[in-house]
Amino acid sequence: MPGKRYSMNAGRTTKQGQQINVGKDGAEYQAIVNTIHMNVDDMKEAGITAGSNVRVISEQGEAVFLCQEGKVPPGIIFVPYGPPTCRLMGQITDGTGMPTSKGWEVEVEPIASK
Amino acid sequence: MGGKVSCTLGEVKNRADFILYWGGNPAECHPRHFTKYTIMQKGKFLPEGRKGRTMVLVDIRETMSVKAADIFLQVRPGKDFEVITALRALVKGNRVDTALVEETGLKLEQLQDLVDRMKRCKFGVIFFGMGLSMTRGKHMNSAAVLTLAAEMNAFTKFVAMPMRGHGNVAGADMVLRWTTGYPFGVNLCRGFPRFNPGEFSTVDLLVRGDIDAAFVLGADPGATMPQPGIDTLARVPTIVLDPKVTHTSRLARVHITTSVTGISSPGTAYRMDEVPLPLRPVLKSPYPSDEEVVRRIIAAVDKKTAWLPRPETMSSGVA
Repeated sequence: MPGKRYSMNAGRTTKQGQQINVGKDGAEYQAIVNTIHMNVDDMKEAGITAGSNVRVISEQGEAVFLCQEGKVPPGIIFVPYGPPTCRLMGQITDGTGMPTSKGWEVEVEPIASK
Repeated sequence: MGGKVSCTLGEVKNRADFILYWGGNPAECHPRHFTKYTIMQKGKFLPEGRKGRTMVLVDIRETMSVKAADIFLQVRPGKDFEVITALRALVKGNRVDTALVEETGLKLEQLQDLVDRMKRCKFGVIFFGMGLSMTRGKHMNSAAVLTLAAEMNAFTKFVAMPMRGHGNVAGADMVLRWTTGYPFGVNLCRGFPRFNPGEFSTVDLLVRGDIDAAFVLGADPGATMPQPGIDTLARVPTIVLDPKVTHTSRLARVHITTSVTGISSPGTAYRMDEVPLPLRPVLKSPYPSDEEVVRRIIAAVDKKTAWLPRPETMSSGVA
């Protein structure tokens, strides 16, 4: 049965921009681009605890992220863009040359900790 | 629709008393924008600085830029085009359905207040970011904002300007524009430029796997493009010019380390208002500049025999 759909929006943050210039191999850059920010109520509803791993599934693929509470409206997920979001993003540009980098429909499922 | 009514950031600093950011988060992504050009500076015709300006922010979420805004309008994701269309109708004094506006997450009174402020200002500017141009509607959203700015000139001076992303991306657009006539997605295979976004644009070519070699300059598509595009770059011979090891350089056959433009080598960068600025290097680098490497590649390619058959060597094929 399909789960709840969220709108995932990839964007930029200051720290991400700084770390791009420090180096993308750094642990700090990796942590930034591997963390999604969700609405608190959405997390409760999906049974996700802050700081736990989740699997994000879009039409294009899936990726594992750390999930944190964020100041975002219900139904929206924010993530600083990076290599993990490449696996989720839209591939069709609708004839514009611009990939859909925001507003992907995704499902999120918690990954049980071992 | 068509055309861009714009100005330089110097004019914004000296004249703009109404500033609207749409789908952008300058506090984090363009941290000097507020302080150097838009809201904090005292301008020639705005001696009061921040007090003399109104700043409105339109976005789908509460970003760091909200703190700097006088008014924040939180629009539902993917509803930007509808809001801009409603604003254009209100600007012209047409009736707008309250229920339709509420679907966007805003109220009609909020939009009417925004239009009244826009009409009252002496010099208005709309800065639109990738929250508008890379979401549902894409270029139609940008066209709608540019049209809104153009139509506002029936009432007061109004301009619009995109908030560009990566460093000197405006420069790439500008150079392609004055060399080929088009800003991106240009195909030169027939010996003359052809423009067709969706067919000749980078993402589409990479995702479809329509290329058999890639030359990447000042970009890291291996960390930003859709995965099938990255797979194409890994499959074909890819050459990367970059000062650093990047995701793209790792999957490339050849990575030439170059100096950092603007820090170790000179050049010209276009500011996001498309004003060219000369760059003065402050450090020395043991590596060549991008320009030098490209010139040497061009010289080496020129020495090679043309791959097309020359007319004099072709047989007519007619008996």
